[in-house]
Amino acid sequence: MTAGAILLILGFFFLGGSALFAIYWAAKTGQFSNVSEGAATIFDEDEPVGTPTDRFPAKKSQ
Amino acid sequence: MNSPSLLSSLNPSTEPDALDSIERAEIDASTRIPVLLFFASAIFWLLVGSSLGLVSAWKMTNPALLDSFSWLTFGRLRPAHLNAVIYGWATPAAIGVGLWLTARLCRIPLLHSKLLISAAIIWNLGILLGICGILIGDGRSIEWLEFPAYSTPILFIAYAFIGIWTIIMFRFRKPGHIYVSQWYLFAAFLWFPWLYATANILLVWQPVQGPAQGAINWWYAHNVLGLWFTPIGLAAAYYFIPKVIGRPIHSYYLSILGFWSLALFYSWNGMHHLIGGPFPAWMVSASVVASMMMFIPVITTAINHHMTMRGHFESLQWSPTLRFIVFGAVSYTVVSLQGSSMAIPALNTITHFTDYTIGHAHLGLYAFFTMILFGSMYYIVPRLVGWEWPSATLIRWHFWLSAVGILLMVGALTLGGLLQGLALYDVASTFRSSLEFANPFRVLRGISGFILLAGQLVFAFLFVQMLLKLGAPKKGPALFTKPAEQTNDTVAI
Repeated sequence: MTAGAILLILGFFFLGGSALFAIYWAAKTGQFSNVSEGAATIFDEDEPVGTPTDRFPAKKSQ
Repeated sequence: MNSPSLLSSLNPSTEPDALDSIERAEIDASTRIPVLLFFASAIFWLLVGSSLGLVSAWKMTNPALLDSFSWLTFGRLRPAHLNAVIYGWATPAAIGVGLWLTARLCRIPLLHSKLLISAAIIWNLGILLGICGILIGDGRSIEWLEFPAYSTPILFIAYAFIGIWTIIMFRFRKPGHIYVSQWYLFAAFLWFPWLYATANILLVWQPVQGPAQGAINWWYAHNVLGLWFTPIGLAAAYYFIPKVIGRPIHSYYLSILGFWSLALFYSWNGMHHLIGGPFPAWMVSASVVASMMMFIPVITTAINHHMTMRGHFESLQWSPTLRFIVFGAVSYTVVSLQGSSMAIPALNTITHFTDYTIGHAHLGLYAFFTMILFGSMYYIVPRLVGWEWPSATLIRWHFWLSAVGILLMVGALTLGGLLQGLALYDVASTFRSSLEFANPFRVLRGISGFILLAGQLVFAFLFVQMLLKLGAPKKGPALFTKPAEQTNDTVAI
């Protein structure tokens, strides 16, 4: 087996392992629990749920 | 606020929570220069890339067009078009949107803007060198990697800066939940350098032999779509659709499922480009199966976006951002289901090597990804320059030219490609007749190119006006105060 092939196989383990670690880490830190709260994290007091934040510009200057 | 030095950010012993709490407007302002730099250069390359594509398209019906200049021959123009729009337009625009979203979702101001400004400058030098290299005849005959060997390391260095920056931002983010868009962004920002480096090492620096080149080539080309453009596009859709209408995503659980199933299945898909090629049957079969499994992330995303929008479709009338993004999100569903169906060998036999594939590529990169990028820019740019878009009418022109142009292009290529494929498949019919079937549709495609380019010129005009803050000051999204301030003109479509 060449050095390149060994490197490649180690690379597979590293990449696959990092994906598994990411899932493990996410589960451990509670990223998969409280999902309804998670959905609301992009809103705050300034721009709460129920407030549209984009609109065509008005035709005349105000 | 004092921003940490690059060395202290890279030092593992630095305390990650040393940053002060900060307002959203300040976070937006901190992203101004790098994001605008990426956007401006992206729009420049979009115009260049589309013009190159337009000339290539007309050469398909008029082969003698401009053939007296070697650098304007089809074999150079077509790869120059592809590389200009992929690496010159879509990638920097995606980076710009990604930087802005990352700063907002990490809830900290953008750190190390000098690193990003250098990345933008180096990246554009690499693109300029690469496009000129292709036009003078130095291009490589590897689809999606035509840039000559002297420009790819420059691009990789620029990209490495962005990869490092992503990790620093993730590390220093405000504690709390990681929103689904952030998963997509973080993954995409790390997947792309991995893909680009792997493909360049195995195809350019230490080329593998024989058919394995084809396997790596299509593994790369498909993953650029699936693991780079798609996650950035979905990150934007998952942020902007709820944010613009002011309603949390319908099912956050489904969005997370969509992310992880995309990560699991998409990287297997590339081999479906090689159905019928000289490969072990299991390689192609595994890819066909993975292409079918893509129904899971695609359907979950489609259901989720549709259910979030339900009851809010009238908002497409008043929000330019949403109009483009919803067009892009719907196209994502269509293009993904079409892509899965094209992996079915029975259909692939007809569509392979025809214009059908070109139609599919433009449905993905224009109707889905480019429209999402336009929509995101309509939201982001006013918040960076503190100025309102100067003309609602021109935004509408931009939308309708883009929408009509891309639907015409995809429709013509899809229908023409099917007729072409059926004629190619028919043993009684000549090769010439397959071209005659395709020809009128190629003329329509050429016309659609003019329509798309016109839309892009409108957008470039609006963007320059924004940068220079031209036009009368207006109230609106950038300085948005109360949603009730709807004026009569916003009802017009």
